[in-house]
Amino acid sequence: MPAGYDGMTEQEALSPVKLALQLLWFTFWTGFPIKLAFALLFLAMGLINFEARIGLAFLMILASPVTVFALPILMIGLDSHIGEGVGIGLLFLLCIPIDIWAYGVVAKTYFLDRLRLEPPEGIGLSLWMKTAVVGALYLPILWLVVGFTTETAISFAHSLFEIDFLKGVPVAERIGAQLVLWGTIATVVLLVMLLVGLWLIGRVIQNAMKRAQPVSGSYQGRVMRWDLMRVPADQGLMLTAFAGTGIVLSILFWSALPATTPRPHDCCKKPEVKTQPPYKAIDALNKDEKVIVQLTAQLEALEKKKAEEETQGKSKRKGNAGKEPAKAPSASAPIQSESKKP
Amino acid sequence: MQQSSSTSTQPTALEKVISFIDERVGLKTLQAKMLNEPVPGGSRWAYIFGSILLFIFIMQAVTGILLMFYYVPTADHAYASTQYIIHDVDYGWFLLSYHFWGSTAMVVCVFAHMSQVFLWGAYKKPRELIWLVGLALFGLVMGFGFTGYLLPWDQRAYWATTVGVEIMDKTPIVGDFMARFLKGGPTPGQMTLSRFFVIHVMILPATLMGLAGLHLFLFRKAGAAGPFRGSVEELKVKTDYFFPRQVWKDIVGMVTVFLAICAMAFWEPVVLLEEATPDPGDYHPEPEWYFLFLFQMLRLKIFAGEFGQFLGAVALPGAFMAFLAALPFIDRDPERNIFKRPIALIGWIVVMATILIFTVSSIINREFLD
Repeated sequence: MPAGYDGMTEQEALSPVKLALQLLWFTFWTGFPIKLAFALLFLAMGLINFEARIGLAFLMILASPVTVFALPILMIGLDSHIGEGVGIGLLFLLCIPIDIWAYGVVAKTYFLDRLRLEPPEGIGLSLWMKTAVVGALYLPILWLVVGFTTETAISFAHSLFEIDFLKGVPVAERIGAQLVLWGTIATVVLLVMLLVGLWLIGRVIQNAMKRAQPVSGSYQGRVMRWDLMRVPADQGLMLTAFAGTGIVLSILFWSALPATTPRPHDCCKKPEVKTQPPYKAIDALNKDEKVIVQLTAQLEALEKKKAEEETQGKSKRKGNAGKEPAKAPSASAPIQSESKKP
Repeated sequence: MQQSSSTSTQPTALEKVISFIDERVGLKTLQAKMLNEPVPGGSRWAYIFGSILLFIFIMQAVTGILLMFYYVPTADHAYASTQYIIHDVDYGWFLLSYHFWGSTAMVVCVFAHMSQVFLWGAYKKPRELIWLVGLALFGLVMGFGFTGYLLPWDQRAYWATTVGVEIMDKTPIVGDFMARFLKGGPTPGQMTLSRFFVIHVMILPATLMGLAGLHLFLFRKAGAAGPFRGSVEELKVKTDYFFPRQVWKDIVGMVTVFLAICAMAFWEPVVLLEEATPDPGDYHPEPEWYFLFLFQMLRLKIFAGEFGQFLGAVALPGAFMAFLAALPFIDRDPERNIFKRPIALIGWIVVMATILIFTVSSIINREFLD
């Protein structure tokens, strides 16, 4: 065994499960606020539209590094998608550097403070890569096992209450009992699977521990070292950078935030208003003039035609006057004749 | 050189203003008192919930005031004005949704804060009074949720309030008076809305501000409890002042909660049901999610009938709250490590599991109602 790992009871006493749980828990919370800020910005910009199982999907994206590759694998495997929009892919890509940084900071702190070991160079990247691979392979298995167990347990719990002497159990009691029954089975299986997964990641971290050398110096000195990793010596610069980033993100958020509700109620859906093209007075006048000229020409043509018809009709009447007796005018006749006129 | 040194010692305009105020109100002493509080064992993420609750309350007050510019607390206009806020006021939908999810966040954080204090054993001597005032604040937060729920005046609001007031009616001696006082008539109407509005925007905030101040005062008087584990050397080395590390953690916590509430406002913006009517129609009345466990519990056969309803709705929750109030005086063992207090740990798990099971059961129960 290497010198750094040999004979250190505290490190040996740490189980892989506990090791993985502590590192992943702190890494999650270190990266989560930053990822959430970007997620919110993309939501405001309308770049993300989550659909089914949104809570789970959202958390799985943000809970990386373990789920970073597992989520797309699961989505492909289940032939499902968590939503639409370029923001999902963008968020996925942004999560990677944030996670590597968060993992690095947490691992360095943990090695110095708890394990009393000198953190190896590039520990953040190396741990992130290994953890992401373990997650990509293990999480789909966990999903399938827990999903199958839950479905089986639910159908078992329902069939149990189909037995004659349990049929009379009131609805509320039945729901509670069924939930406890299948919930306990599903929770136990989930916990066991999670423990196995944590153990695997814990083994990865223990391998990194084997390569590390013991750290020298007093306890106070070590505390100072990891403390300075988190809070730089130039605190003014850090605060300025933090405040500046916050201001920029806030401005971006407010400028992208929709002014009206993205989900209007049936009662209050606003009619789509088509924007009118800008009114050009000269064009309109020219157009009107053209129309007037056309209509005048049509009118003149009609009048001319009418005049010709009238002259033709007079000459016909003159020719027929000696052959037919004159009829007495009826009430409808003039109207009929008038209505037939163009 | 002389000139430059003399100009560098000249106080700036800001320093002059600060000095002016300091002379009159003791600003620097106040600042030192506020920020130089020693935190045994150093800053911790577990301690952020109190500050987060204060932040959420301030944000609720700000968004609530902005909503009041448009909201009309009358039975005729409450629904329409809420719809107007959602659909016509610029960013109104976001403000209302933030306010709605902020109330949920407040309940979640109160649960988290109380759980942390319980598990850390921080309610024990000499912090009994902090615990008692905290319990009263918990009641106020629940009161905020209950009274605010009616204000949009849709079917959900109307019937949740009707159910809630009926449950209150079952309290012995004061129940009838409380129910009549809140309703202001045989059925919820204008008087109910007015009273709930006044309680929500005047009485509860004023009471909460007073009690939160007292809570903070008592906390500063007794000091932070610190972690329940760790050697004396570790605690001594890690002990730190409130500023800057705990302040930093608190700020990160507040930012995270703010972002989470905003994300929820986008995910599930507030959508109203039909306007409130005394006829429920197809709607199945149910309260807000944090009361669902109690609502589902009352559906059990054991809590059927007049006495059963009293037992489930009033006696059991009342006894539980009384037990929590008496806890610091019952549990006098100075041991704070939760792993050395198995009854406390198991008790907490049982309570949480019960709340979870009944809440999920209530959601499953909806299928049977439909």
